Amino acid sequence: MSNLAILPILIPLLAGMWLAFIAKKLPLARGSAKLLSILNLAVAIYIFFHVQQNGTLILEMGAWKAPFGIIIVGDLLAVTLVLTTNLVAIAAAFFAPKSLSDKQEGFYFYAFFFWLISGVSGAFLTGDLFNLFVFFEVLLMASYALIVLGGGKAQLRESIKYLLLNLFSSMLFVTAIAFIYAVVGTVNMAQIAERVQEVEQQGILTTIAVLLFFVFATKAAVFPLYYWLPNSYSVPNPVVSALFGALLTKVGIYSILRVFTLIFTHEPGLTHNLFLWLAGLTMIFGVIGALSTHNVKLIVAYNIIPAVGFMLMGIGIFTETAISGTVYYLVHDMIIKGALFLLVGALAHLAGTSDLRKMGGMIHHYPFLGWMFFLASLVLAGIPPFSGFIGKLLLLQGGLAEEEVIIVIVTLVTSLLILFSMIRIFIGAFWGEKNEEITVNKRAADGYVWPIAGLLALSVTLGVGAEWFYPAIQSIAEYLMAPELYIDSVLKE
Amino acid sequence: MLFAVLLPFLASIFIPFLAKWKDRIHTGIFVTLVPLVIFIYFIQFLGTGFQPETRSYSWIPSLDMNMNFYLDGLSLLFVLLISGIGTLVAFYSIYYLHKSEQLGNFYVYFLIFMGSMLGVVLSDNVFVLYSFWEFTSLSSFLLIGYWNHRRGSRYGALKSMLITVFGGLSMLGALVFMSVITNTASIQQMITEKSIILNHEFFPLIMGLLLLGAFTKSAQFPFHIWLPDAMEAPTPVSAYLHSATMVKAGIYLVARNIPIFADSEWFFVIVSGFGIITLMWASYMAVRQTDLKGILAFSTISQLGMIMAMLGFGTKVAIFAAVFHILNHATFKGSLFMVAGIVDHETGSRDIRKLGGLMTFMPITATLAILATFSMAGFPLPFLNGFYSKEMFFDATLDLESTSNALAGFMQQALPYLAVFGSIFTFVYSMYFFFGTFRGKAQISELPKKPHEAPIGMLISPAVLVAGVIIIGLFPELINKPFISHAAASIYGGEIDKHIYFWHGINLPLIMSIAVLAFGTILVLTRTKWEAIYRFIPGPLSMNKVYDGSVKRAETYSERITKTYMNGSLGRYFRLILGAILIITFGFMAATTGFEFNMAYSAEITLAEILVAIMMAVAAVGTILAKNRVAAIIILGVVGYGLAILFVIYRAPDLALTQLIVETVTVALFLMVFNHLPQLKMRKQAWSTKALNLIISIGFGALMTLVAISAHSSKWFDSISSYFVENSYKLGGGDNIVNVILVDMRGLDTLFEIAVLGIAALGIYGMVKLRSNKEEDA
Repeated sequence: MSNLAILPILIPLLAGMWLAFIAKKLPLARGSAKLLSILNLAVAIYIFFHVQQNGTLILEMGAWKAPFGIIIVGDLLAVTLVLTTNLVAIAAAFFAPKSLSDKQEGFYFYAFFFWLISGVSGAFLTGDLFNLFVFFEVLLMASYALIVLGGGKAQLRESIKYLLLNLFSSMLFVTAIAFIYAVVGTVNMAQIAERVQEVEQQGILTTIAVLLFFVFATKAAVFPLYYWLPNSYSVPNPVVSALFGALLTKVGIYSILRVFTLIFTHEPGLTHNLFLWLAGLTMIFGVIGALSTHNVKLIVAYNIIPAVGFMLMGIGIFTETAISGTVYYLVHDMIIKGALFLLVGALAHLAGTSDLRKMGGMIHHYPFLGWMFFLASLVLAGIPPFSGFIGKLLLLQGGLAEEEVIIVIVTLVTSLLILFSMIRIFIGAFWGEKNEEITVNKRAADGYVWPIAGLLALSVTLGVGAEWFYPAIQSIAEYLMAPELYIDSVLKE
Repeated sequence: MLFAVLLPFLASIFIPFLAKWKDRIHTGIFVTLVPLVIFIYFIQFLGTGFQPETRSYSWIPSLDMNMNFYLDGLSLLFVLLISGIGTLVAFYSIYYLHKSEQLGNFYVYFLIFMGSMLGVVLSDNVFVLYSFWEFTSLSSFLLIGYWNHRRGSRYGALKSMLITVFGGLSMLGALVFMSVITNTASIQQMITEKSIILNHEFFPLIMGLLLLGAFTKSAQFPFHIWLPDAMEAPTPVSAYLHSATMVKAGIYLVARNIPIFADSEWFFVIVSGFGIITLMWASYMAVRQTDLKGILAFSTISQLGMIMAMLGFGTKVAIFAAVFHILNHATFKGSLFMVAGIVDHETGSRDIRKLGGLMTFMPITATLAILATFSMAGFPLPFLNGFYSKEMFFDATLDLESTSNALAGFMQQALPYLAVFGSIFTFVYSMYFFFGTFRGKAQISELPKKPHEAPIGMLISPAVLVAGVIIIGLFPELINKPFISHAAASIYGGEIDKHIYFWHGINLPLIMSIAVLAFGTILVLTRTKWEAIYRFIPGPLSMNKVYDGSVKRAETYSERITKTYMNGSLGRYFRLILGAILIITFGFMAATTGFEFNMAYSAEITLAEILVAIMMAVAAVGTILAKNRVAAIIILGVVGYGLAILFVIYRAPDLALTQLIVETVTVALFLMVFNHLPQLKMRKQAWSTKALNLIISIGFGALMTLVAISAHSSKWFDSISSYFVENSYKLGGGDNIVNVILVDMRGLDTLFEIAVLGIAALGIYGMVKLRSNKEEDA
């Protein structure tokens, strides 16, 4: 059964190849993309339940036993995130034909799309630090291709910055892996953890840990490393932005979570305190960014950043409650960011502009879209009983139990400002006089609505039905706080 | 009980469908039934022998977030107000809102509000309480913005949301803190564990955050500014949310938490202090308003201040009076809002400067108005409930528990005078409201519509409330034992045996009432003479300016801050990123004394190696200084070939070969491409920028070198590579270890690296092709 673990990586890899060959036959390509993403989701669901009942799936690639070969570790955290990834992917697959031009679709959009999913799933599943680097490359390369796809000048200008900054962090990543290998002589994450623990993370190890943190922090868009994000996420097609917003930064956060709960856990007074500081600054500067512009896409792009701060805060507090808050928020944020980017994309398309000052009265033409946006704003701001609240509540509880009062207050203020930045869009774009001159495109709107509604329904369920999900999240947090479980499951003997 | 709370939510689901038939049946008719049913359900709990009841329904037990309802006297008072007034308001709205309005939206918001408000006052679980609390703010936002084509509505809606959600979040902070330290989410449990909260080192913070929530919601000075702007909402909403129920949620929160906080001296100072200031300021400001609903808004603020102040006193009399006044205020203020709505509806104006003399046109409305305003003014008549609670308020200010706190002592001295001051202005604005609207000379030509009496249906609801004013006024004992004593007792935490009399004999409170009457009358008669004072107090100062300024500044400053670093310059981004990594990582290295230098793991250094290394270093620096691209790439090639030589020295011929090929191909490719690129230009950069770049690059290089040396000097473990050496032939079947690793042991890496190349190729093809197509189109 352990071969199951490779499927979420393999299916999209092969799907991408298939779609590269049939890219020009649009109806076939669209149909296959939808079908294959449904298949991939079905597999992810099956694996999730399998792991929940039978425990972590370990796959030793090529039967090279750990720690010598590459290990795929399908633990509950990894499969939960893979499942969430595929939920977002389905919405994107159904939204894409409505949003992309035929040419963009024809130039391998679906191939890149599946390769991106493959890279993301691989990053979640691998148990090998160097292999993690490889999957980072896969998802980054796919994202480079997606971001420039059929782009104009602005898109190229922003993507070169995106590319160069990410290239830099990739270089730093390999270098840091080399350093780690020099010290502990292995790249298997479980064995690194075991060996770091043996020498109590002494000497240069904490410094290397910080370097590795910066690598992930650049991907995750932590203060002060996120400069590449807002513009490069707001210029591509909405469906690309949604994939990026939902998945890419989350891979960074996931990596920080994994590495700093599994491997470098012995100097929390230093490393995890640094995270708390940076988390606070990330929230503040991120939300300030969200208030600084009238471009609706940019507002949503900036709103990625404070969410990253929330998740980093949980890792910084480093208790079971706080970690479960981070994991809950991670799942929530993947879904809601996907929905929001699709929403503002649809809004900007229907209004014919991304400038908030030029919009108004849209709710009279597109009431369903308007109410979905309102709901999404509440979810994002963490208003109960929706999904954002559950994660935030856990983070607050974790923070206050440790008497980290300042970061808690920053979190609360940030929540208010997030709501402000979103409600500004709702009031400015949807409320107001009915504009009779605008050309109403009900058909386009109807096409946009369902993928978004699906994601929002998930968000609401994740909040109202928290009782169904929280036990799983809690067991993930318990498991993360006990790294020997991971180590033992990989290095059995 | 769960059903009673959920009923409005369930009903709201059906409203959009019912609203489709609004031309035949006004949607409000269905909606009126909802609060009526709830009212009838809860009224059965009334009675002298009432005991608190709890009902638990599990929702998210693993987060301790459950629908635990606790119905005590205080909750019952609020529940009956919410459902009772809700029924009257819904009924009134049938006549107020025309069928051409978006009735579906209105009633959905209305019902969501009602359900949430019931949830707030019934929840014992703090997280559930907070959830409902935010939903009252949100439904209020939507109701204020109901006529969102008006700029004023949008402004008022945003304002109320920002202020109340701000309060809500700070309340959340307090509630989570309390639940974390007492290890329970139940307020009743917290009351039994109150010593933990009172003795906690962060107690002032907890109390401050909680009171912020209450003060913003109940529009206490200086957070009151959202309420006047909330008057943009349709009048039934103002009567319901912004006078009778939602704004009292803050009062409820304070009352609910009195058993925990009252032992703190600062509780009295803060709560009563804010309350009494609010009472005085808002009653003073009410006289200046020209909009009928504006007067009522400030009046509501000031009455809320009075109730808040009494809760701060914490004595038996004060708490009893506070509870009594919550009920009384709801009756007379609710009816006055409806009267204002009628005037607006039938004359087309709410501007008191245009109104006047309406008594002859609308005698029934005027009768209702006179009874309600005189009750609000605290006029000493034995059939007006407002007088009783006002008298008790004076009584309470004179009868405070002694204190050792100097500030509290001073406040106790001043309170009776401040109370009288506030009451004088209450009297003035009450008279101003009634006489300005219904007496004086009629100016029919000024009004958009010819005034006439309202339809009977619209008069029923205010008439019922005014009947309440009179019945409570005539028979106060009727509601005492079965109703408000229970509410007061649940706040005070013990039996309160109080009788309500009209005549107490000649005592100090009566003298205070008479003073209010006398000074009030003088001020009413001479209003034109002293009105100029508003030009000095508050003059141009106002909290509104602070709010508008902060909202505006939030945007301009955030734009300015963001633009300072998000300027689109890649160079600056790199400087900031490298600089941050540099400083922090060096800091960590120093803090953990991470640097290590150990020659034990190093091979001997030969002259050849040193020479190659120097050559590479020189070439690397040379690349930067090169004046044109071709020179730069050739010099860079030296670095690459130097690396190949090092591989040879280290006996890795296959790597050396690979490196040579890669280097040659890239240099050749670059040379081909450069043909198409413009000449390399010296970039004009400030001297300081160049210096900074130099420092950061050298620093970063130094950092990486030091970490590399330390890493190399810390070989604490055997590398797994020995396994590869041993097994590459045995298990992998290949002599070349590197090959076995690449294609077998770490085949997955290789597979995906190949995929990366494929993606890159396809991506570049797409980028080039799709762009050139675009140009053809153009």
